[in-house]
This record gives sequence, structure tokens and C-alpha cells, in this order.
Amino acid sequence: MASTLLKIQDLVLHFSTMRGPVQAVDKVSFDLGHKQAVVILGESGCGKSSLAKAILRLLPRNVAEYKGSIVLDGIELMTLSDEEFRQNVRWVRISMVPQAAMNSLNPVLKVGDQVAEPMLVHHGVDKAAAMEQAKKMFEHVGVPVDFLHRYAFELSGGMRQRVAIAMALVTAPALIILDEPTSALDVLTQANIFNVLKRIKKELEISFILITHDIATSSELADRVAVMYAGQIVETGDAMDFFPAPLHPYSQKLMASVPRLHGNKELEFITGQPPSLLNPPTGCRFAPRCEKRFSRCDEEPPVFERDGRQVKCWLYA
Amino acid sequence: MTEPSKEQDGKKTTLTTFNRVARYTLVRLITLFITVVIGVYLTVLIANMGGYVDEIRRGEIRETIQMRMLTDPTLRNLPADVRMKQMEEMIRLQEKYYGLDQPFVVRSVRFLKNALTLNLGRSLQLTSDSGSRQVRLILLERLPATLLLFGTADLVLFFLSLYLGLSLSRRYGSFWDKLTVALSPLSSAPGWFYGIFLIVLFAAVLKVLPFGGMVSIPPPDNPFLYALDLLYHMILPVMAITISSIFLSVYGNRTFFLIYSSEDYVEMAKAKGLKSRDVERRYILRPTLPTIITSFALLLIGLWTGAPIFETVFNWPGLGRTIYRAVGLFDTPVIVASTVIFAYLLAVTVFLLDFIYALVDPRVKVGGGQERAG
Repeated sequence: MASTLLKIQDLVLHFSTMRGPVQAVDKVSFDLGHKQAVVILGESGCGKSSLAKAILRLLPRNVAEYKGSIVLDGIELMTLSDEEFRQNVRWVRISMVPQAAMNSLNPVLKVGDQVAEPMLVHHGVDKAAAMEQAKKMFEHVGVPVDFLHRYAFELSGGMRQRVAIAMALVTAPALIILDEPTSALDVLTQANIFNVLKRIKKELEISFILITHDIATSSELADRVAVMYAGQIVETGDAMDFFPAPLHPYSQKLMASVPRLHGNKELEFITGQPPSLLNPPTGCRFAPRCEKRFSRCDEEPPVFERDGRQVKCWLYA
Repeated sequence: MTEPSKEQDGKKTTLTTFNRVARYTLVRLITLFITVVIGVYLTVLIANMGGYVDEIRRGEIRETIQMRMLTDPTLRNLPADVRMKQMEEMIRLQEKYYGLDQPFVVRSVRFLKNALTLNLGRSLQLTSDSGSRQVRLILLERLPATLLLFGTADLVLFFLSLYLGLSLSRRYGSFWDKLTVALSPLSSAPGWFYGIFLIVLFAAVLKVLPFGGMVSIPPPDNPFLYALDLLYHMILPVMAITISSIFLSVYGNRTFFLIYSSEDYVEMAKAKGLKSRDVERRYILRPTLPTIITSFALLLIGLWTGAPIFETVFNWPGLGRTIYRAVGLFDTPVIVASTVIFAYLLAVTVFLLDFIYALVDPRVKVGGGQERAG
């Protein structure tokens, strides 16, 4: 594995709600090398987006607990003050492509200004230089440069998503978090966006955290895979190892639910509902839905190492 | 769509913005004019009681002439049939003089035309300060006072509620936030209601501010002192308007800010590492502005329509008090004319706000439009 860029250890983000604490991100650990892409796979509501927000410290008002360790380039981010974090991390080292680009662009500002904005804030360049950089990024992601002067409502969904990617790239950060970048788009546009991402990954010195439930397309981009279930990471490993043979029963089920072109395999699904993060099951959180469940599953499994892969399941004890 | 060359980009956008605003403005002007026409025509109908006022005036004319017939010695001695004929002729001439020989429908259209062109005729009772019976003079003399008072109050109200709304949205759930929400029903009472209490408190009991009026009597000669005196007299009325509207207005603005600050683009702006001041200004305040302007427009119109009683309470020599007096004196030309002026004022207010709206919100466009690209 390449030299480590990001190392996350025991990251916890709990929210307090009227009905009790929600364990959105619970002791999540994974790491990521330079110029690598890690794909975080999981169902809706498993805490994927909360993980993205936890990394960028975008916390809502009702945070109950936020702790752990995020080390980026050897710097511990959790101990930085909010102001240091804003100046040195946000969009300088880590940027983000949001889930719904429509709502992520300010409706009353021109998209060019919004893309150029981080340059003005973080690099202290003048407006013209910032716009020039924004223009370059537009060319990079395949948006016509005259769209710089348009408003978000004048662009199609795919164009907006490209603009969002251009915005994430503009300050040349080391890491981009893509939070389901294609979930709001049609299949053709999704493929387009993924091609843009693949090209960027090849051309730029950049690492990705790709949060998605789209296993098929993400497999093309992934170097590493982390599978998230009910706020926890249940398996991590290299993509080359993971996709052919996932270890955790949940990962196996997840992979079995992907349609394949060849072979007559029946599509599988996972019975039951993902657990509520409000009141997760004790012991292994997947146990209630797991076909391979046995007596030890009542205790919470630690993370086991197997062939350089990590899996949180008693089967590998 | 085809891609235009890069040099044209900037120019093209400016032109599109201009076209958009110009087109929008034109359409708004036409619709507002139609609104004013309808409003004024309704006023003409109502002030004339749908033509019944004409009947009353015909009766008055007949009565006056009959009285004259009975009292005038030269006419009294004529034979009865000649006298009757003479009387009918005099009534006919008098009615013709007042235009009463034409049906009311025709007259109402002429009234409408005169009203719209500000050809406002002569008053029956009221006179201007210079002693003129010209309704136009009477009203134009009053207009600046009203504009000054309400303009000032509106500006104070707008910026104060914007600022307070924003700061409350930052302190959501705090004591001040809860207090404002709790006090917002106070806005159900009109400004003059609070005005009475303020007058009692500050003028009658504390004796620090004047009871009413616009300047002291006699007014100071020095223009600077005059302005100060004016301000001194404006404190209470502006305060009354502000108190009556501020809580609801702040509550509304604060709620809009809260709604808009949960938008995804606000979170994106934070993620981009913008200073919280910039996030607030460009990503919360700016997108919320159109909504705030709309609600403010409604508030303004409410304030305008409250002017007659408000100005009467504060003895403010404006348009509103003139209407109030004209109603008391059955001075129909002045009532109609004031209503016309108010209709125009409302239309101008709405138009200005619409214009600002079009400027602050690029999504506003009327008819036609740009194609979505991509």
C-alpha cells in the first residue's frame, strides 16, 4: 500500500434526538494512502453521510458525542480549533462533492463565482486569477466555460454535478470526499460522471473517499473498500481482494444482490430491515439478519485480521 | 444548444439580465396599472354610491330652485304654468351645469379618466394651506409629510427586523428568541393603538416628547433646527409603527433565516471553509432576501392602509389625516382623490419592491425564458 494520507481511528459521532441518542458513526477506523480511492459501501441510513460530515467536522446542533482520531498527513485534525480547521483543512486539504448538487449550489450566485470562491478564501488570489482557475476546472470536468456565468437553475443535473466536482478540485486538495455523487442522476449521466472521476484520479495527485451504495460502478474506481453497517465499518480490504471474495456475511449478501451480465444466478436480498441507529442490537449488529449467526454473535466482535484484510465478525476469530 | 464564443460570455449574461429585468418590469407596470384602474373605478362607484349621489344632488338642486321661486318677488307674481316652465328650465340648466344631465355610467368613466390623470377637481369643503380649493394642491401639500413619516418608519423597520432576525436565527431557542416569538401576537394591534399609549406615557406623563404634529409652533427658522424639530416629532410615530410591526416581522425573518440556513448550500459553504460572516451574508441572507422582501411588501401595504387613523392620532398633517377629515365632511372629490393618490402610492410601492425582487433573484422571469442547458 502507498504511504498513508489519512488515518481514521475510533471515530465516533452520536446525535441526541427527542427519542434518544443516535449512533450514526460508531468507532469507525480505516486508512487511505496517497492517490488512492476508498469506497465506503452501505445501505441507506447506515451512517455513510454522517461519516463524511464527521471527517469535515460539519456538525449539526444536536451532536451528543464527537471523538476519535483523524490524522491527515501526520497532523491530528481532532485537536485543531474550529478556526484552524476552517483555515487549514476545509477545502485546503479536504474537499467534498455533495449528494444533491442542485441543492448544494447557491441559487442566487453564479456558479462560476461559487467555484472560484475557495481560491479567494484560501489562496488569497485576486478575482481574475480565481476565475481563471475555475475556468480550468470547468474544462477539466467537461463543462462549457460560458456556464461560469450561469445560475444553478439554468444547468441540468449532470452539469450541476460536474460543477460540484470542479468546485471540489479548484484548490487542489489532497483528498476529496464524494458523498453519493451520482445517486440523483440517470444511468447515462452517472456513467459520464464516473468517467470524469476516473480521469481525474489518473491525472491529478488526489485521493478519494467515495461513499456510495452503487457497488457495480464504484468497483471501477476503488483501490480500497470499506463496508459500513449500522454506523460501524464491518470489513475493510483492498478492492482486488474484496470484490471477488468478500469476507463478512453482510458484504457477501451485498455483493450477491448485484446483478451480473453472465451466469444465471438468482439475485439475493437481505431479509429484514437495517437496524435503527437509535437503538442498535447489542453484540454483532448484523446478527439479527445474518444466516451464519451462532452463539458468539451475542457479544460484540472485535476486528480480526486475515490476509491483510480487516473483518468484524466472529467467523474469522 | 450551440456554444457561443468565449468573448461574448460576459456581454451575453449582462444583456440577458437586462432583458429579463426589463421585460419583467414592463409586465409588472402594465398589470399594476390595470390594478390601479380597477381600484380607482371601484372608489368612484363607492364614493358616488353607485350613482345615488347624483339623485341626491338632483333633489338638492330642485329644492334650492323651488325655494328661490318662492322667495324671489319677480318670479312669485308670474302665472303658475309659466312659473312651472321657468322652474323646470332653471333646473335643467343647473343640472346641465353640473353634468347631471348625462347618465351616471358616462359620468363615472369621465371621473375615472380625470382621477387617473390627476385632474382632481375642486373640493367641497377642505382648503389647502394657501386657501386653494384645488384638490390636487390640497393633496400634494400633504403627500411629503406622509412619505417622510412612513418612509422613515419602513426603513427603520426593514433594517431593524433584518438585523434582529439574523441575530435571533443564530441564537435559535435562546431566551430572546423565545421572547420574540411570545411577543409576536402584539403585532395584531395597529400602530395607532400603541401610539395612544406612547403619547400618554411620553407626552402626558413624562412630558419629554410632543403629543403630535410635525413641527413645533412656531416652527424654527434655521433649517438645521427645523430638521431636528421634525425628527423630535417623528420619534413617537415611528416608534409606534415599529412596535406594532417589529415582533411579527423579526419572527418571520428569523424563521426564514432558519429555514434557509438548513439548505445544503449553506453546509457546502461551511465545508468550503468560508468565514461564518461570509456564509451568513452570501449563503443565508442573500438567498433569503427575495422571501423577506415579499413579506415586507405585504407589511408595507398594511401600513399604508392604516395611515388615516394613524395620522389622525398623531395629528400628523399627511394624506391619511386629510382623508379622515374629508370623510367627516362628506367631501367626495377629496375622498376620491386621496384614494387615487393612495392607489398610486400602493402601486409604486409594489412596483419598486417587485423591481428589487427581480434584481435580487435571478430566477424571476416573466414569459419566455432561457433554455436549460446540458
